[in-house]
Amino acid sequence: MTYQEKQSIVNIVSALLITSIYGSIVYQKHVLGQFDLTTDFKTWGVIFLIFIGVSIVSRIIIYIIFHILNAIATRDEKVPIEDERDKLINLKSTRNSFHAFSVGFMLLFVMLAFGMPIYGLFIFMVIFGVISEIIENSSRIYYHRKGV
Amino acid sequence: MSKNNIQNNIRKLRFNANEMTQQQLADDVGVSRQTIVAIEKGNYSPSLELAFRIAIEFKVPLEEVFSYEVL
Repeated sequence: MTYQEKQSIVNIVSALLITSIYGSIVYQKHVLGQFDLTTDFKTWGVIFLIFIGVSIVSRIIIYIIFHILNAIATRDEKVPIEDERDKLINLKSTRNSFHAFSVGFMLLFVMLAFGMPIYGLFIFMVIFGVISEIIENSSRIYYHRKGV
Repeated sequence: MSKNNIQNNIRKLRFNANEMTQQQLADDVGVSRQTIVAIEKGNYSPSLELAFRIAIEFKVPLEEVFSYEVL
Protein backbone atom coordinates (compact mmCIF):
# COMPACT_ATOMS: atom_id res chain seq x y z
CA MET A 1 0.00 0.00 0.00
CA THR A 2 1.39 3.39 -0.99
CA TYR A 3 1.81 6.38 1.31
CA GLN A 4 -1.05 8.21 -0.44
CA GLU A 5 -3.42 5.26 0.00
CA LYS A 6 -2.59 4.98 3.69
CA GLN A 7 -3.07 8.73 4.07
CA SER A 8 -6.52 8.52 2.42
CA ILE A 9 -7.58 5.74 4.81
CA VAL A 10 -6.34 7.82 7.76
CA ASN A 11 -8.35 10.78 6.42
CA ILE A 12 -11.54 8.69 6.22
CA VAL A 13 -11.09 7.24 9.71
CA SER A 14 -10.23 10.62 11.24
CA ALA A 15 -13.23 12.29 9.57
CA LEU A 16 -15.56 9.64 10.98
CA LEU A 17 -13.87 9.71 14.39
CA ILE A 18 -13.73 13.49 14.84
CA THR A 19 -17.28 14.05 13.59
CA SER A 20 -18.81 11.25 15.67
CA ILE A 21 -16.99 12.25 18.88
CA TYR A 22 -17.77 15.95 18.45
CA GLY A 23 -21.35 15.14 17.45
CA SER A 24 -21.91 12.96 20.51
CA ILE A 25 -20.49 15.68 22.82
CA VAL A 26 -22.82 18.28 21.29
CA TYR A 27 -25.77 15.88 21.51
CA GLN A 28 -25.02 15.15 25.19
CA LYS A 29 -25.05 18.88 25.94
CA HIS A 30 -28.34 19.22 24.07
CA VAL A 31 -29.88 16.35 26.04
CA LEU A 32 -28.61 17.82 29.34
CA GLY A 33 -30.35 21.08 28.44
CA GLN A 34 -27.25 23.29 28.14
CA PHE A 35 -28.69 24.57 24.85
CA ASP A 36 -31.69 23.79 22.66
CA LEU A 37 -30.53 22.90 19.17
CA THR A 38 -34.08 22.69 17.81
CA THR A 39 -34.62 26.46 18.09
CA ASP A 40 -31.30 28.13 18.94
CA PHE A 41 -29.64 28.70 15.54
CA LYS A 42 -27.00 31.05 16.93
CA THR A 43 -25.62 28.10 18.90
CA TRP A 44 -25.47 26.09 15.67
CA GLY A 45 -23.21 28.79 14.22
CA VAL A 46 -20.91 28.63 17.27
CA ILE A 47 -20.92 24.80 17.15
CA PHE A 48 -19.90 24.83 13.46
CA LEU A 49 -17.12 27.39 14.04
CA ILE A 50 -15.71 25.40 16.97
CA PHE A 51 -16.00 22.21 14.89
CA ILE A 52 -13.86 23.73 12.12
CA GLY A 53 -11.15 24.65 14.65
CA VAL A 54 -11.31 21.27 16.44
CA SER A 55 -11.24 19.44 13.11
CA ILE A 56 -8.14 21.31 11.86
CA VAL A 57 -6.17 20.83 15.09
CA SER A 58 -7.19 17.14 15.40
CA ARG A 59 -6.19 16.44 11.80
CA ILE A 60 -2.79 18.04 12.27
CA ILE A 61 -2.19 15.88 15.35
CA ILE A 62 -3.48 12.72 13.60
CA TYR A 63 -1.33 13.48 10.54
CA ILE A 64 1.81 13.89 12.70
CA ILE A 65 1.07 10.60 14.53
CA PHE A 66 0.42 8.86 11.20
CA HIS A 67 3.68 10.14 9.74
CA ILE A 68 5.67 8.99 12.80
CA LEU A 69 4.02 5.53 12.81
CA ASN A 70 4.51 5.18 9.06
CA ALA A 71 8.17 6.17 9.36
CA ILE A 72 8.67 3.56 12.11
CA ALA A 73 6.84 0.84 10.14
CA THR A 74 8.49 1.46 6.76
CA ARG A 75 11.80 2.85 8.10
CA ASP A 76 11.47 5.64 5.56
CA GLU A 77 11.19 9.16 6.96
CA LYS A 78 10.70 10.89 3.61
CA VAL A 79 7.24 12.04 2.60
CA PRO A 80 6.79 11.09 -1.07
CA ILE A 81 6.89 14.02 -3.47
CA GLU A 82 3.59 15.08 -5.01
CA ASP A 83 4.04 14.80 -8.77
CA GLU A 84 1.76 15.61 -11.70
CA ARG A 85 -0.16 12.31 -11.39
CA ASP A 86 -0.87 12.94 -7.70
CA LYS A 87 -2.09 16.45 -8.53
CA LEU A 88 -4.40 15.09 -11.24
CA ILE A 89 -5.72 12.44 -8.84
CA ASN A 90 -6.32 15.08 -6.15
CA LEU A 91 -8.12 17.26 -8.68
CA LYS A 92 -10.43 14.45 -9.83
CA SER A 93 -11.08 13.29 -6.26
CA THR A 94 -11.97 16.83 -5.19
CA ARG A 95 -14.32 17.09 -8.18
CA ASN A 96 -16.08 13.88 -7.08
CA SER A 97 -16.30 15.22 -3.55
CA PHE A 98 -17.87 18.50 -4.73
CA HIS A 99 -20.36 16.60 -6.90
CA ALA A 100 -21.36 14.44 -3.91
CA PHE A 101 -21.76 17.48 -1.64
CA SER A 102 -23.75 19.34 -4.30
CA VAL A 103 -26.17 16.43 -4.63
CA GLY A 104 -26.45 16.31 -0.83
CA PHE A 105 -27.05 20.07 -0.70
CA MET A 106 -29.86 19.78 -3.24
CA LEU A 107 -31.34 16.88 -1.25
CA LEU A 108 -31.39 19.12 1.83
CA PHE A 109 -33.77 21.51 0.11
CA VAL A 110 -35.91 18.63 -1.12
CA MET A 111 -36.11 17.37 2.47
CA LEU A 112 -36.94 20.88 3.70
CA ALA A 113 -39.70 21.08 1.10
CA PHE A 114 -41.09 17.83 2.47
CA GLY A 115 -41.29 19.24 5.99
CA MET A 116 -37.90 18.51 7.59
CA PRO A 117 -37.32 20.86 10.58
CA ILE A 118 -34.66 23.58 10.14
CA TYR A 119 -32.24 21.99 12.62
CA GLY A 120 -32.22 18.88 10.40
CA LEU A 121 -30.55 21.05 7.75
CA PHE A 122 -27.47 21.46 9.96
CA ILE A 123 -27.34 17.80 10.93
CA PHE A 124 -27.60 16.59 7.34
CA MET A 125 -25.08 19.21 6.20
CA VAL A 126 -22.52 17.59 8.52
CA ILE A 127 -23.53 14.10 7.32
CA PHE A 128 -23.18 15.06 3.66
CA GLY A 129 -19.86 16.75 4.48
CA VAL A 130 -18.54 13.48 5.93
CA ILE A 131 -19.94 11.47 3.00
CA SER A 132 -18.27 13.80 0.49
CA GLU A 133 -14.97 13.45 2.35
CA ILE A 134 -15.29 9.65 2.26
CA ILE A 135 -16.00 9.84 -1.48
CA GLU A 136 -12.99 12.13 -2.01
CA ASN A 137 -10.57 9.80 -0.24
CA SER A 138 -12.11 6.64 -1.71
CA SER A 139 -11.74 8.19 -5.17
CA ARG A 140 -8.12 8.93 -4.39
CA ILE A 141 -7.48 5.29 -3.45
CA TYR A 142 -9.37 4.13 -6.57
CA TYR A 143 -7.42 6.39 -8.95
CA HIS A 144 -4.11 5.41 -7.36
CA ARG A 145 -4.87 1.73 -7.83
CA LYS A 146 -6.75 1.66 -11.13
CA GLY A 147 -5.11 4.58 -12.91
CA VAL A 148 -6.26 7.99 -13.96
CA MET B 1 -10.30 2.49 -15.84
CA SER B 2 -9.84 1.79 -19.56
CA LYS B 3 -6.33 1.59 -20.98
CA ASN B 4 -5.31 4.43 -23.23
CA ASN B 5 -3.92 3.99 -26.71
CA ILE B 6 -0.52 5.50 -25.95
CA GLN B 7 2.07 2.74 -25.94
CA ASN B 8 5.50 3.03 -24.37
CA ASN B 9 8.87 1.28 -24.39
CA ILE B 10 10.06 2.44 -21.00
CA ARG B 11 10.58 -1.05 -19.66
CA LYS B 12 12.77 -2.01 -22.64
CA LEU B 13 14.67 1.28 -22.45
CA ARG B 14 15.29 0.78 -18.74
CA PHE B 15 16.61 -2.70 -19.41
CA ASN B 16 18.96 -1.35 -22.09
CA ALA B 17 20.14 1.40 -19.75
CA ASN B 18 22.05 -0.99 -17.48
CA GLU B 19 18.81 -2.35 -16.03
CA MET B 20 17.87 0.98 -14.54
CA THR B 21 15.31 0.59 -11.75
CA GLN B 22 11.93 2.32 -11.72
CA GLN B 23 13.02 4.24 -8.64
CA GLN B 24 16.19 5.51 -10.39
CA LEU B 25 14.18 6.69 -13.38
CA ALA B 26 11.58 8.26 -11.11
CA ASP B 27 14.25 10.16 -9.17
CA ASP B 28 15.95 11.34 -12.36
CA VAL B 29 12.78 12.71 -13.95
CA GLY B 30 11.32 14.04 -10.68
CA VAL B 31 8.23 11.88 -10.13
CA SER B 32 7.28 9.07 -7.76
CA ARG B 33 7.97 5.41 -8.54
CA GLN B 34 4.20 4.81 -8.61
CA THR B 35 3.91 7.23 -11.52
CA ILE B 36 6.56 5.34 -13.50
CA VAL B 37 4.75 2.07 -12.72
CA ALA B 38 1.44 3.59 -13.89
CA ILE B 39 3.02 4.89 -17.12
CA GLU B 40 4.64 1.53 -17.88
CA LYS B 41 1.35 -0.29 -17.33
CA GLY B 42 -0.48 2.21 -19.55
CA ASN B 43 -2.64 3.40 -16.67
CA TYR B 44 -1.46 6.98 -16.93
CA SER B 45 -0.52 9.22 -19.86
CA PRO B 46 2.24 11.58 -18.76
CA SER B 47 2.29 15.28 -19.55
CA LEU B 48 4.29 16.38 -22.58
CA GLU B 49 6.95 17.81 -20.26
CA LEU B 50 7.38 14.53 -18.36
CA ALA B 51 7.40 12.57 -21.62
CA PHE B 52 10.25 14.76 -22.89
CA ARG B 53 12.12 14.41 -19.60
CA ILE B 54 11.91 10.61 -19.87
CA ALA B 55 13.11 10.70 -23.50
CA ILE B 56 16.01 12.99 -22.57
CA GLU B 57 16.90 10.65 -19.69
CA PHE B 58 17.28 7.75 -22.15
CA LYS B 59 18.90 10.04 -24.78
CA VAL B 60 16.41 8.98 -27.46
CA PRO B 61 13.77 10.85 -29.47
CA LEU B 62 10.30 11.08 -27.92
CA GLU B 63 8.75 8.74 -30.52
CA GLU B 64 11.13 5.97 -29.43
CA VAL B 65 9.66 6.12 -25.94
CA PHE B 66 6.01 6.75 -26.72
CA SER B 67 3.87 5.87 -29.69
CA TYR B 68 0.22 6.48 -30.45
CA GLU B 69 -1.92 3.66 -31.81
CA VAL B 70 -5.28 4.37 -33.34
CA LEU B 71 -7.53 1.62 -31.95
